[in-house]
Amino acid sequence: MADISFKVIKGEILGLIGPNGAGKSTLFNCVSGILKPTGGDMHFLAEDKKIRINGYKPEKMTFLGVARTFQNVRLFSALTVLDNVRIGRHCRTKANFFGAVLRTRSQKEEEQKIVEESMTWLKFVGLDKFAFYTAGGLSYGFQRKLEIARSLATDPTLLLLDEPAAGMNPKETRALVEVIHNVSDLGITVILIEHDMKLVMSICKRLVVLDHGTKIAEGGPKEIRQNPKVIEAYLGRGAADA
Amino acid sequence: MNLTMKHALKYFVLAAALIYPMLSFTNEYVLHVMVLIMVYMVLAMGLNIVPGFCGLLDLGYVGFYGIGAYTAGLLTIHFGLSFWVIIPLAALNGAIWGVLLGAPTLRLTGDYFAIVTFGFSELVVLFLTNEIWLTRGPLGLPGIDPVIIDFSWLSTLINPQWNWYWEFIGPQPYFYLGMFMVAMVYVIMGRMEDSRLGRAWFAIREDSIAASSCGINLLTYKVIGFAISAAIGAVAGAFLARWTMFLSPDMFKFWESFLILCMVVLGGLGNFKGSLVGAAILIALGEVLRIILPALNLPTETRFLAYGLIMVLMMRFKPMGFFPSIATQSQKNPILIKLKKELGSS
Repeated sequence: MADISFKVIKGEILGLIGPNGAGKSTLFNCVSGILKPTGGDMHFLAEDKKIRINGYKPEKMTFLGVARTFQNVRLFSALTVLDNVRIGRHCRTKANFFGAVLRTRSQKEEEQKIVEESMTWLKFVGLDKFAFYTAGGLSYGFQRKLEIARSLATDPTLLLLDEPAAGMNPKETRALVEVIHNVSDLGITVILIEHDMKLVMSICKRLVVLDHGTKIAEGGPKEIRQNPKVIEAYLGRGAADA
Repeated sequence: MNLTMKHALKYFVLAAALIYPMLSFTNEYVLHVMVLIMVYMVLAMGLNIVPGFCGLLDLGYVGFYGIGAYTAGLLTIHFGLSFWVIIPLAALNGAIWGVLLGAPTLRLTGDYFAIVTFGFSELVVLFLTNEIWLTRGPLGLPGIDPVIIDFSWLSTLINPQWNWYWEFIGPQPYFYLGMFMVAMVYVIMGRMEDSRLGRAWFAIREDSIAASSCGINLLTYKVIGFAISAAIGAVAGAFLARWTMFLSPDMFKFWESFLILCMVVLGGLGNFKGSLVGAAILIALGEVLRIILPALNLPTETRFLAYGLIMVLMMRFKPMGFFPSIATQSQKNPILIKLKKELGSS
């Protein structure tokens, strides 16, 4: 990847699009700390301080407030739905081995709070009825939603969604759009990778287009649709000339 | 079998086990085997943390067992420390070695980590065999004192004629002590499983990338798991030292690790309650084979063939063990029970 820089405004829903292999997921992996960038600088604004995040581990990024979902759902599938979200609370809680074994009062209170907060997030995505189901047994659409609930449980300020609507039927997609709008209403910034153009154009006020690891366009849905560079990236040179 | 029946059966077995050593027809040999089963129950529960909870193959568990045993043996012989002081010290020593081994090697994944742990247990045996100045090497470490409960300082204060001093002789007291140890480890395991710590381990087992993006520091939690597992192994070793009153390096050969791993797999990876059953079955089977194999003119080492066969059959027919851990079933936390009720009623 080279020379990608764009601004995200707090609380907005930004779409990140581009043809296959453009580097969208790689960008996510770098920002969330799963991949180490080979060069260049990344900065993240946390608590009004600009922090250089090159080489930060994923758990550190989560602590700073970057949460993400994965292109191919990564749930703890043998655990219950509730446990999945409870694990999401990990980075905001602190009970240790001694708390667990001695069952101190602070540990008990924390556990109670974890369950309550987890249930709030499950209600938020509409999965509270399934709290005690095994996560791997949920339908695909629900698994996607659960992954969003789990990442929201980490109290993020920036949520990275990697193709959240992939493989969903129209009804599930509509429910998902509603969830994404609700997330944005909470003041959480959302960056969205999506191939479903109709979906992207309808929920994102601004879009960034990547191709071959560089940014080729940025702007509102209308501008992007008419941008010759974008058309070229998607359809090839001939289509842009025609 | 319904739930109340199951509970009744559980308490009946527990009561029977508690009364058994006091009955007149009690056989010393059977009691001895039962104590041995308890030692392996503790070992199997402790080992379950690493392959069962964290999903890492550990082939060197017996190394920590040996470290705990020799820590207890040497502290008893040279310093005459009480068993009750030695237990935490042995656990601490086990945990320290767990951290020392785990911190650099838990970055490795899968098979590589298994190889390192295997090497470690061999290293422990080599150390115990060759550092003769400390361990007396292959001669072994005889003359370790039995467990003693000494409250004579308190009893003479109250009444000079009383003497609250008990030395553990014969298998009966060790039976109860072993039971107490199993119960303690059982409670600790249960509490760890249902906590932030346990959930972090499960997350690592299920999907380490997702776990780290939930804010779990993979290395830290793996090292914590490895150290706690090592500490539990060392406690079992300390008990063994004060019970058998003799230690030798070949009690901690690799085969023991394999045997304990068999118990864990048999009982179900990730289900520490199953480990109890696994330990009971395999030790009992070992004793049965000890009688059967010589009758067939086979050396007793042939029993490992039987263990191997069991493992192969398990992998083929019950890869999850006899009692696979099912997330939706193992929830006894009052907070969750209450929540379940609320969800059910709405």
